[in-house]
Amino acid sequence: MGDSAVAAVRPLPLEDDISAGFWAAARERRLDIQYCSSCSRWNHTPSLTCPNCGSEDLAFRPASGRGLLYAWTVLHEPPAPGFRDMVPLIVGVVELEEQPRLFITTNILGATVEQLRLGAPVEVMFEEVADVVLPQFRLVGE
Amino acid sequence: MWEFRDKVAVAGVGYSKLSRRSEQSLAALTAQACDAALADAGLTRAALDGLATMPSMPRYGGARGAVEGIDVVTPWFLGELLGINEQIEWIGSTNGMVTQSLIDAAMAIASGVATHVIVYRALHNPPGKYINFESSHAGGHEQYTAPYGFTSPPAWAATCFRRYFELYGYSRADFAPFIVGNRANTMKNPNGYWRDKPLTEEDYLTTRMIADPMSLLDCDIPVDGCCALLLTSTERARDLKKPPALLTGFAASTHVGPAGVAQNLEDQIAGSEQVARRLWAATGMGPSDVDTAQLYDGFSLFVITWLEGMGLVPKGEAMAFLREGHGNLDGRLPINTGGGALGEGRLHGMTHLAEAVIQVTDRGGERQVPGANRSLVTVSNGLAKATAFLFSRDGG
Repeated sequence: MGDSAVAAVRPLPLEDDISAGFWAAARERRLDIQYCSSCSRWNHTPSLTCPNCGSEDLAFRPASGRGLLYAWTVLHEPPAPGFRDMVPLIVGVVELEEQPRLFITTNILGATVEQLRLGAPVEVMFEEVADVVLPQFRLVGE
Repeated sequence: MWEFRDKVAVAGVGYSKLSRRSEQSLAALTAQACDAALADAGLTRAALDGLATMPSMPRYGGARGAVEGIDVVTPWFLGELLGINEQIEWIGSTNGMVTQSLIDAAMAIASGVATHVIVYRALHNPPGKYINFESSHAGGHEQYTAPYGFTSPPAWAATCFRRYFELYGYSRADFAPFIVGNRANTMKNPNGYWRDKPLTEEDYLTTRMIADPMSLLDCDIPVDGCCALLLTSTERARDLKKPPALLTGFAASTHVGPAGVAQNLEDQIAGSEQVARRLWAATGMGPSDVDTAQLYDGFSLFVITWLEGMGLVPKGEAMAFLREGHGNLDGRLPINTGGGALGEGRLHGMTHLAEAVIQVTDRGGERQVPGANRSLVTVSNGLAKATAFLFSRDGG
């Protein structure tokens, strides 16, 4: 495989000690989000200590996978070579139902720009890219 | 109130030429701006005993490092360049953003550590795209954003812009009058990058999208160049060539939003509100004391979030306020009187500081706002590392 074929894949996540559980769950088609047992708050993106209370008592828990579309942007130019076939690319910010302002970055797959509404209900789905599974979101049917 | 209120002043403003790709090195441009600021104050290099900046470089997608004098100019290198290393007693260079260097410099002067300090921002515009994401893998925080194509600051700001539009029922057409008026201000500013290029609402509404709804004309233009300010005590400044602009007070944000996204509308405004509380407490002033406002516009939307966060306009009304012309030079609260970064070029808030100094010292020429006794400056997006300053006319 030449360099151009490698570059044509979207940037793939490099797992680390903190993120491994998030990506492992995605491979099993589950959206797991860190939860702090000390202050009873969800936390995304995952971190070593809780940004709310400083505790290290964080563990991944399955989330509902449901949320609301909080904001979005539409990219007409591919943000990296691997997105060439995905423009116009919708990048969405989803507020997960578990907690106010619990945000996750996603694409809104299978939707047109005209269908997007602030607060539209969305649900998680999973997309295979190379050897990685990405949590993604789609609009919940009309 | 701040103990050193009005006791530190900006006594000189200096610009290099600002161009898209300079034939000259960043080192040469930086020396020009510093010498211009000194000359403005009627001083020479011999007077300097302090230098401060935050010499970060543009992103190269990790492909190469930063070369002194080409990509960055650190204060240590600047001391060599100006031939003044031996006389420099204080250097500030540990900040999150360059405007925090102005806070550090003010502290150094107020405490007597330094007497004449140059605060400068030297920025190089590298060839190619300003922000590249060409790596096949993304680690750290980017592992949660890069696989979705969400790695560029314009795209982050675009989501805030979209949410503002949707929440309050505005569209880009409502913002066009401000963008056009801002260009008109730029054309009255000899330092403005876009000073010779008029702009119409039609231009704004048809220009290329960077990250919808953020267009090319909603982003400041990257330039090669430098802006420098000469700070000293108000007492010393009164004996210099130009009238001093007094630093009445400043504030910095420490507000951090949830980490799931880099920016979100509500937390940017919450951060701006934190800055506002701190600034009004430090200065003993309030929104009604502001005569002109230099609001950071690295991305145009930040003008809106600062207007609302600083309490200058009620929530949800900033875009209508601008649409009705209240932010124009002859409006109720003239905003970005020199064209801001959208018009002058990207120097991360330094040009906003320079414009505030110009307004409160009556040096604005065609763009001077009569009776502009106090000018507010806000920098960045309201989140941690954002700053705000209030400058006052001497005896005003």
